[in-house]
Order: sequence, then C-alpha cells, then structure tokens
Amino acid sequence: MTQTVQPQQTAQTQTAAPSEGKLAAPTIATRKSCNPDGIGLSHYVLMDKKAAK
Amino acid sequence: MTAAATMSRTASSGPALVPVDIGHAVYAAVTDPATAFWGLVDKTRVNEALTGGPLFEAYTKEYDRFAKELHALRFELKPSGVYLNPTERCNLNCTYCYLPGEQRSGGAHMPLPTLSASLAKLRDYFASVMGDTERKPRAIFHGAEPLMNRDAVFAAIDEFADDFAFGVQTNGTLLDDAAIEFLTSRSVSIGLSLDGPVAGITDATRRTWGGKSVHDKVLTAMEKLRGYGSWSVITTCNTENLPYLTRMVELFHAAEVPTCMLNTVRCTLPGARGVKPADGDMAKAFFAALDRTYELYQETGRKLMVANFANILLAILAPTARRLMCDISPCGGGRAFFALAADGGLYPCSEFIGLKRFNGGNLLTDGVEAALKSAAFRPVIERDVDTFDPCGSCAIRHFCGSPCPAEAAEMNGGMDKIGAFCDFYKEQVNYALRLIADGKANDYLWDGWDDGTETVFNIVN
Repeated sequence: MTQTVQPQQTAQTQTAAPSEGKLAAPTIATRKSCNPDGIGLSHYVLMDKKAAK
Repeated sequence: MTAAATMSRTASSGPALVPVDIGHAVYAAVTDPATAFWGLVDKTRVNEALTGGPLFEAYTKEYDRFAKELHALRFELKPSGVYLNPTERCNLNCTYCYLPGEQRSGGAHMPLPTLSASLAKLRDYFASVMGDTERKPRAIFHGAEPLMNRDAVFAAIDEFADDFAFGVQTNGTLLDDAAIEFLTSRSVSIGLSLDGPVAGITDATRRTWGGKSVHDKVLTAMEKLRGYGSWSVITTCNTENLPYLTRMVELFHAAEVPTCMLNTVRCTLPGARGVKPADGDMAKAFFAALDRTYELYQETGRKLMVANFANILLAILAPTARRLMCDISPCGGGRAFFALAADGGLYPCSEFIGLKRFNGGNLLTDGVEAALKSAAFRPVIERDVDTFDPCGSCAIRHFCGSPCPAEAAEMNGGMDKIGAFCDFYKEQVNYALRLIADGKANDYLWDGWDDGTETVFNIVN
C-alpha cells in the first residue's frame, strides 16, 4: 500500500481500545451514483434537477 | 501533474483509509481521499477499520469503480451551461463585488443582435457536445445586473426558448410586476440577493451608487415570488452580517424561500477581503443558522434548503449528484460551464471577468472550443488539489475542492494555493458527517434528491 495521505482534521481521532462486552455502534457507509450534470456556482444555484427541465 | 498522471497515480495507489475526527460522541470517519470514499465507524474500532474488516474489504472490491467515477467527474465533463453577462453595468455598488467598479458604473450593454448571435453560436456548441440528450443546456443571465439590459435579455429568452433552460441571477431591484410575469410564465429560474434581515444590515454591503438602501425592494420581490417553484436567494456572509445569519434563515423560511445560499464572501478582489470573516466565526454563525433551519423544519414540516451546505452533503453521499461545481477540483469553470462577458469575451467563470489574463478569446470570432483549450483557461481547468499542499495530504480534499481558484490566485498567490476558507470547509465536512451519523442528512436535502441515482455502496451493520 503506497498511500501517504494524513488526516488534516482539527484533532486526531480517538482510537481507544474497545471495551469488553460493549457493542460497537454499527458502521455506516453509503454511496450513490448518477450521471453528473451540475453547473451551479456560488453566484447562482438550482438544486432540484426537476426544476431545471 | 496532468489529469492522466493523476489517474495513473490513483489507480496504482490502491485503497487506503485514513481516520478523521468529526467531533461526534460515538463515531469517527475513515476516508480514502483518492476516491472520496468514506465510512463512519465506532470510535473504539477505528484502528481495525483502517486495515481490514468488512468495510475495508467491501471498499476494496469497489475501489476501481469509485476511482474511475471520481476521475470522470473531475476530468471528463463537457460544458452544459453558460453564464451570460448581458451588460457590464450594475445599479448597485456592493462592497465585495468581483467585477471592477469602472465596468459596473460606466460599462456597456451587449446589443441584442450580438446577444442573439452569441446564443445561436452557443446553441450549436452545446448541441455538438451534449448530443441527443433530452436535457437542455442551461443559460444563466448573470451579473453585473442583467436586468439593466432587460429588453435584450427578454427578447433572447423568447427567441431561444426551445434551446436553453434559462435562469436569471438578479439583485432584485428591477424585478417589477411585468418582469416577474415574464420570467415566471416562461419557467425561468430566478435568483435574488439579500444580505441582512433588516435594512441596516443589508445596507452595510449592498447599496446603490448613491448610497440608497435596496433592502425593501428585494423583500417586495421575494413576496411576489412566494409560491413560484424555481427561485432562490443568496446571502453573502461577511463581517457585517455574520451575527445575523440565524435571523436570515428565519426571514427566508417565513417568506417561503425554497432555497438559499449562505455563501462565504469571495475574496477575489481587494474590496471583498476587507469584509472577510475569520473561518471560526464563519463556522459558528453558519452552523447556528443550519441548526435553525432544522428546527424550523421540525416545527413546520417545510424545509429551507441551504444549498451550499446541501452540496457538501451531496459531495459525500453521491459525488456525481453535486449541483454546485465550485466545491470540487478542478472546479466547474471551463469544464461544466463557462462565462460570456458583455464584450463577447469568454472566461472560465464569471469570477474571472475582472482578470483579463483569464480571457480565453471572443465567442463570435474564436469560438468555445478555442477558449477551452486556451492558455487562459488552462490554469483553472488543470487546478488539481492532489498536486499541491496542504490539499494534497488532506483527508477531505474531494469533498471540498479548495475553492475558489480565482481567490487562490489573487488572494493567496497562485493556483497551487488554498482558497479563502480552508478551515471552514473542514468544519462543514465534519458537520455533514455528524448529520449522517445521526441519520439527519435527508432533513438538509430536498425531497427526492436521490431520484435518478443508483445505490452503489451500502453498509449499515
């Protein structure tokens, strides 16, 4: 693995060891995909695709 | 580094997750910055999530697909929109405007024959790159103040009604009953601007050249647009109105504004930098306003979309569903859209119209393709956060894009510099990820936002 990226957030993540007998919170990870057609910029926006038709 | 080289580096690097503290009581994030992949994991399980386990294994299977998707979004788009400046003039003299004052006070209108010829040429260009899609290209009449050249704008909208989906971004002061009737009857999307909940705050940054208030005129226009399906209001957040953002969203919600933007002031020209808020102050006021929109939704069942934040959520949940193309690198300028100045010059984005070195030629004499390939456009089109620090080592760089290249060049000294609000963007991403952890993200997005999308990854266990 050659990834060298480091986190840039405001504080390092707490990575305390799991406590015995305590259930971990469920992992959440989702991603949706579509054909990209956004053309908005900070001076103008139309968020709802349907409204553009 | 070229786009191809970036793709090569991405493809050879393989999946790798890094931890991000999002400030949540239970969850931390892990991201792969190279593909904009993310997961939320119990804070006590971060180490094991980084190197193995179901999340990492599932992501590894999708790595190539996500890398290709992000690469296509960043480097393979063809323009489908144009921002048209039908005049150089504006009846207001806003503190932070990105257009030079001498143009706005004494500039020229684009004559109707030139505007018609321009739209005909743009129609042909978009037909050549968009193919047979049912989607129309977007043409947005834009600032200075487009309604200063109202007759030409309205004639053009009627002449090219079958060819473009039109929008108008206006300061609202010239939006009389006839103009509203014309635009709404033709389903033109309308954007307004208002900076304060009361005249004294708006007046601090948005007044006529003679110093007169326009606050009440904008409120009147907003009242007349109540119930229309496609309108929005922009608030430019600056040192003068920052303490009032919560009151702004209360005003917008009460006025039934469907969508607003609470934009950071763009610091391209020096005047804007004089009213630039600090990142921490911006974050505090912005999140208080977002929290208030959530409360109002809970109380009334009606959402007020804060579009610039909704777009950060989209960048995380569905990168290709972004509506705004500022918060991505390279940005949408010269890729998803471009701008036409009133003198016929082509620019990557309206933000560059005051910076002549970004003029990529004339639409009618040189054409769009020449502009897109020009040396003037290239620095914007090729600005890649993978290739310069600190962005290149940032865990959230493809949720943010380090906007804006015009600011980076003019305020921070080069295209390989960060934009004006780096820390604020990090905090927005943290806030968005906390909402996702708490199951509230949809409350900050419009109903049906994911219609037409496909779920390509889903782990909740």
